[in-house]
Amino acid sequence: MLVRVLIFGPLRAEIGTDAIALELPPSANIAAVNDALAARFPGRAAFFRSARLALNSTFARPDQPVNESDEIALIELVGGG
Amino acid sequence: MSPNSNLTIRIVDGSLGRPPSHDANPAHGLLGAAVVFEGIVRAEEAGRQIQALNYEIYEPMATRVLHDLARDIVTKHGLLKIEVEHSRGKVAVNECSFRLTVHAGHRKEALAAADEFIDRMKKDVPIWKTPVFG
Repeated sequence: MLVRVLIFGPLRAEIGTDAIALELPPSANIAAVNDALAARFPGRAAFFRSARLALNSTFARPDQPVNESDEIALIELVGGG
Repeated sequence: MSPNSNLTIRIVDGSLGRPPSHDANPAHGLLGAAVVFEGIVRAEEAGRQIQALNYEIYEPMATRVLHDLARDIVTKHGLLKIEVEHSRGKVAVNECSFRLTVHAGHRKEALAAADEFIDRMKKDVPIWKTPVFG
């Protein structure tokens, strides 16, 4: 299945996109999304492997299953306040 | 999510402008400390001069996380009220992009609450800032 991870802030400019498309097995979970991001960006593997992800606007647990229709966002390097 | 009468969360396009006049309810009688913190855009970011900061906000998650955080802080510190305002979009140097208002019975809990709110906000709320250079 194809999922998209939304990217915000300075990271968007750094990696050159506001959404990363990932091909994952149908039974993938959030941890698999982290692993896929790390594999896509090996130079920042440690960052992506531990990056917090939101699933449908809520912080996700690593074991949560992911569906193709889910909205996934990377919630790191935040800078509000 | 039903509104809580002592929690206010506002996302505002652009600068927040001047703060509203103090609206303490004298009939309340319990208010002893009002803390207002304002985050102002500095002229320098990572050693470079900037013109502004551009704020991106991931909604509806940001408002919900702010609301949950505010509710937790109100409960933990026994506050009377908390108000949070944050800018979205471009905010120029010297302009206000964040305002936190805390009302409590006493100084100690008001200051502690404001400090904790900002610490936790900076870690958990999906708001990003990107410098705008001249």
